[in-house]
Amino acid sequence: MQSRRSHFIPRTRAGRIATIAFLAAMFLGQPPVVHGLMNRIEPWILGMPFLFLYLLVVYVLGIAVLIWAERKGV
Amino acid sequence: MEPWVVSTTLIIVYLLATIVIGILANRKGKANMEDFFLYGRQAGFIVLYLTVVATFHSAFAFLGSGGFFYTHGIGFWMAGTWTVLVGAITFALGTRIWALGKKFGYITPADLIADFYESETVRVIVAVVSVVFTLIYIQVQAQGLGIILSVATGDRIPIAWASALLLVVAAGYLMVGGLRAVYWTDVIQGIWMYVAVWAGSLLLTYKLFGGPVELWRRLMAERPDLLTLPGPEGFFTPGIWVGMTIALSFGIIFQPHMMIRYFTAASARTLKLLGATTPIYLMTLFIPAAFVGLGGALIMPELGNADRIFPELLTTYAPAWLTGLILAGATAAAMSTLDSILHSNMTVLTRDVYQRYIARGRSERHYLAFGRWVVVGLLGVGWVLTVYNFDFLVRLVTMSGVGALQLMPAILGVCYPGRRLTTSAGVIAGICTGLLTVYLTQWVWPQPLGLHAAVWSLGANFLVTIAVSRFTRPPSDATVERIHGEVENFVYGD
Repeated sequence: MQSRRSHFIPRTRAGRIATIAFLAAMFLGQPPVVHGLMNRIEPWILGMPFLFLYLLVVYVLGIAVLIWAERKGV
Repeated sequence: MEPWVVSTTLIIVYLLATIVIGILANRKGKANMEDFFLYGRQAGFIVLYLTVVATFHSAFAFLGSGGFFYTHGIGFWMAGTWTVLVGAITFALGTRIWALGKKFGYITPADLIADFYESETVRVIVAVVSVVFTLIYIQVQAQGLGIILSVATGDRIPIAWASALLLVVAAGYLMVGGLRAVYWTDVIQGIWMYVAVWAGSLLLTYKLFGGPVELWRRLMAERPDLLTLPGPEGFFTPGIWVGMTIALSFGIIFQPHMMIRYFTAASARTLKLLGATTPIYLMTLFIPAAFVGLGGALIMPELGNADRIFPELLTTYAPAWLTGLILAGATAAAMSTLDSILHSNMTVLTRDVYQRYIARGRSERHYLAFGRWVVVGLLGVGWVLTVYNFDFLVRLVTMSGVGALQLMPAILGVCYPGRRLTTSAGVIAGICTGLLTVYLTQWVWPQPLGLHAAVWSLGANFLVTIAVSRFTRPPSDATVERIHGEVENFVYGD
């Protein structure tokens, strides 16, 4: 049987960039970052409490990575 | 006109529309299993998009999420994390499932998994997990629908009869039009529920507070405990946050009504675009839910049942026509999930049980007829479960999010070629260990070390799967070459 290279590590440059960027976005949306550094109401930005806006930005970042990956044909 | 008349009329209009769509789908469809069970594997982007989001967001997104914000504060905004993760799973894993389904004619998740592991035991276990952990959702959705219709009619229709009526309608258009009817109704349901939640939420926020900015300011002044973690009741701890992220992304995707959607896509490009963009809809639906739940905590702080906050605010502060529109939207949210679960259970029971073990080699018409009878049976079971509350069901509901999650090592073993292979014995031992761990860490010793049952069960499952796989017989070379070769070819070319 032919031995296959693992599919868990992307082989293309765009694939590696997308994977690292997405995992980074996920990391920013998980403990301990969220429960420690970002768990605050102030400063208020655009009339929103900090934690709410911070998580919104993290989610938008994750979606942006997915759209970029789709455009790049990953 | 009285509010209940408007609400009831709009819901009736909506129900009639779904029945008409079912009939149209029947005329358009073909009498074969691929068309009835899988939309002929021809679902384009818009239809697939709206059916995936409408199915993912059930009555819980409409009622329960507002209740979560009401009780536990901003912590429930973590829901955005799992919606983004769902997009990534569709992008990376869904496309591989699609490619294998198209190449080898898979219809159910058990087809995919059992073919690779060359094991009928695996097929039966996957089918049982698929059905048991989604069957109970029929009860949850039917109860939700009963409550919505009962509220909409001003308690003129008892919950039991309201549930029965809506179950019959959902089962009716499913039996007539198959998955095509489910998809077409989901298009309406997906649009309706999104517009309804945003419209209702914005109207209430501007009417009660003068806008979202003022809402945030009042929360800061009156209930700052709702704006930080872990929330007023200490619910959103790090362990719960991580566990819910895993359980409500992978755990929902591996349920058959979601996985079957991957098989139905017209192309891999459709699925990649779907993965990249569905989080936009799924995530942004929680923003109005936050306004409703957090605003409701200020306006109605003594509400007995937090899940009723949205309907309570609407009936008190919104015009009758909007309340009707939104309650019809809530009906759409619950029905779009209910019909998909009925469909997936019908498909699994017909394909993985009846066709495989009871009546082999019959005509496609025969299996379609059997599938319709299965829906009738599910309808009856769903209604009985709705009317009579069984204690064990309460336990099953709380376990369901992590139940389907236990298929993860098995599915990764099929779709992600690696240096080491997982084996049928490893997968069986892993699933059994995972389910046992769910029970232990959810009920016997709840959340050891503050970690959610999803983390413990999945960790135990992976460990056992890997360990047992090292010492047991892998799938044959021919099968591994056929299936992993196809994945290799699909992802990277030969």
